[in-house]
Amino acid sequence: MHIPDGFLDAKTALATTALSTAGVAYALRQVRIELAPRRVPLLGLSAAFLFAAQMVNFPVAGGTSGHLVGAALVAALLGPSAAVVVLATVLIVQCFLFADGGILSLGANVFNMGLVATLSGFAVYRIGQRLVPGVRGRVAAMAFAGWCSAVLASVSCAGQLAWSGTVAWSVALPAMAGVHMLIGVGEGLISALVLLAVSRTRPDLMGPVTQVQASGRARSFVVLGLLASLGVALFVAPFACPWPDGLEAVAGKLGFGARALAPSAAAPLQNYRVPGLASPGFATAAAGAIGTLVAFCLAVALSRLVVREDSSRKSSHV
Amino acid sequence: MNASIDIRSLNFRYPDGTLALCDVSFCVAEGECVGLLGPNGSGKSTLLRHLNGILPERLPTDNGAVLIEGSAVTPQTVSAVRRRAGLLFQDPDDQLFCSTVSEDVAFGPGQLGLSADDVEKRVREALAQVGLSDLSGRPPHHLSTGEKRRACLAGVLACSPGILVLDEPTSGLDPRGRRELMALLTAIPATKLIATHDLELVVELCPRSVILDRGRVVADGSTRTLLNDEPLMLAHGLERPHVLQHSHPH
Amino acid sequence: MKAVGASRTSGLSPAVKVVGAIALVLTATLTPASHPLWFATEAALVAVALVEARVPLRQFLRRLAMLSPFVAGAALAAALGSHGTDWRVLAARSTVCLATVIVLSQTTSISELLGVLRAARVPNLLLTTLALMHRYLFVLADESARMGRARTARTFTRSRRHAWVTAASVVGQLFVRASERAERVYDAMCARGWKS
Repeated sequence: MHIPDGFLDAKTALATTALSTAGVAYALRQVRIELAPRRVPLLGLSAAFLFAAQMVNFPVAGGTSGHLVGAALVAALLGPSAAVVVLATVLIVQCFLFADGGILSLGANVFNMGLVATLSGFAVYRIGQRLVPGVRGRVAAMAFAGWCSAVLASVSCAGQLAWSGTVAWSVALPAMAGVHMLIGVGEGLISALVLLAVSRTRPDLMGPVTQVQASGRARSFVVLGLLASLGVALFVAPFACPWPDGLEAVAGKLGFGARALAPSAAAPLQNYRVPGLASPGFATAAAGAIGTLVAFCLAVALSRLVVREDSSRKSSHV
Repeated sequence: MNASIDIRSLNFRYPDGTLALCDVSFCVAEGECVGLLGPNGSGKSTLLRHLNGILPERLPTDNGAVLIEGSAVTPQTVSAVRRRAGLLFQDPDDQLFCSTVSEDVAFGPGQLGLSADDVEKRVREALAQVGLSDLSGRPPHHLSTGEKRRACLAGVLACSPGILVLDEPTSGLDPRGRRELMALLTAIPATKLIATHDLELVVELCPRSVILDRGRVVADGSTRTLLNDEPLMLAHGLERPHVLQHSHPH
Repeated sequence: MKAVGASRTSGLSPAVKVVGAIALVLTATLTPASHPLWFATEAALVAVALVEARVPLRQFLRRLAMLSPFVAGAALAAALGSHGTDWRVLAARSTVCLATVIVLSQTTSISELLGVLRAARVPNLLLTTLALMHRYLFVLADESARMGRARTARTFTRSRRHAWVTAASVVGQLFVRASERAERVYDAMCARGWKS
């Protein structure tokens, strides 16, 4: 999902760069405070790991293969702040040394994959892990977290493309989110299998690398999460709102270029038709909800499939 | 006169409780070259890591079991100790962590707080000493194992240590790389402690050897005497090297 | 990976290269579709730089192919008649920008790039992480390839499920090894006087 140059306009590039710079700066500060000195090289090595891991082939069909993005996985393994730093590092190296993703869109890529994907993945993983203790819980939580991270990052990406006027929201959202609902299955599956493999070999490596109290970790997560949510809201809200008249009024009051927003806001109503459903906004929401539910069930099914609970083995708490 | 390395009843347990080193004691005099032998798992690498304060994780604040040039390795002295005792790790990829050879060799002098000119001078001299002057701009992953080993050695030599501690310096080297490294080591006048499985290297370079087995010192004496003692060698996972089996004078 | 020999572009100061690349990309992004002459000029500039930097054609074309999902998507959007940018303009813009970044990546080493970032006051922790990542990505990529080959040599089924489980365990092992290596790198850094 690396956005190349030329697909985002200047204002989107600026906004995303500002948001991701703030997010990465904050994450760096937190990591410096929280990380034990002997773990500092782990950041760089994890980034190298992720880069190498992204090249591993997971055969799908014919000659195609899937690949791991790994934002949710790294967040589960290293904690939110460290994961943000690791993902940002990978994206910067990919941009400047491998020409993968544009320079001006680096901000957007870091925002989508380095903030939205990591933080949403972390949140879902932690919640899922708390709800269902033990190895099964971790596997299901990781699978679902991987899926969510892929989908949410793609929604954010769609919002940015629409905000730039490159692709209309009515096309961008179903295209990006739809595709990533499928890709996300692979992401979730791979993340879960990898987490299982790590937990079986070196369970001591699981869990955040920082030595801070849970409250401190929660604080960094909240700050970063808010930042990511703000950004997504910024890019998606103009299009997701089902009341274009209300939006125009708000835009007028705030002095926004109502001209820029109004056509895009009106487009979903005009061009996007789902048979049988009166309101397209509702159709989108319904599709999203169904997809999420299916992914959740798949995640739980996966955990049952790959983790054979041995009755003599106690489930371990992390 | 203080011994360069003085180990007195060193004990060490891993976090999981396994005893790694038990009552290890020996000295290395200034300028001496001593071989440290023993089967895999005998604790050689663990012992070497005590010599520059990597282990134990929490260094003792008073007189500990390890003295480098007369001073105990404590949190206060550890920086000075690391300057005096250079450790060459087993995997050169762990030690070459910078983007180019010259950057890596410059790392040590840079940490010493020298001026940029001094650092550059030391890098040039160290690279010349190991014969890598024309590879200074290369990234480490473009080097052969032998070249990596020499680059690691240059990185350590650039700090001008009086003591060299080497962990398996010839492992993974082809015959030519091995000969080149051995020639280099012979030419360096520092005190040397070499942990190795390469028994022929020990015969050639180290007049004295210490044998470690399951964390204990089981023998300490002249290399030739020890290595010729076939029952002793076999009892501790070693063997009598071929070079001594054909007893012609060298 | 960088097969480029000495060229005038490589010889420029890294700061100039980075700033120049950003400027070129910015200009291409801001160039309105109604000024095709601007595009032509930018394209010519970049083409010259590409040739000067001796970028292999096949590599460039392969990178270009990676753009296709986005360009195809935009083409689809145009075909569906929704409000959006003309896909030809998009293709032109992104190609020019991509070529610029390729020239930059081929003519700038990691050390030079880190130097520019350091001058831009990027925090040390991020610089160290970037440097270590670059240093070890080849090592880990090699380890990954070796592990994959070893597994393949012992694989006698062609089931996709087996391939996935194998690939996942390779990735898992890679993480474990990376973590263990990180500890050893820390020891090596301390051994040569690094004070965190």
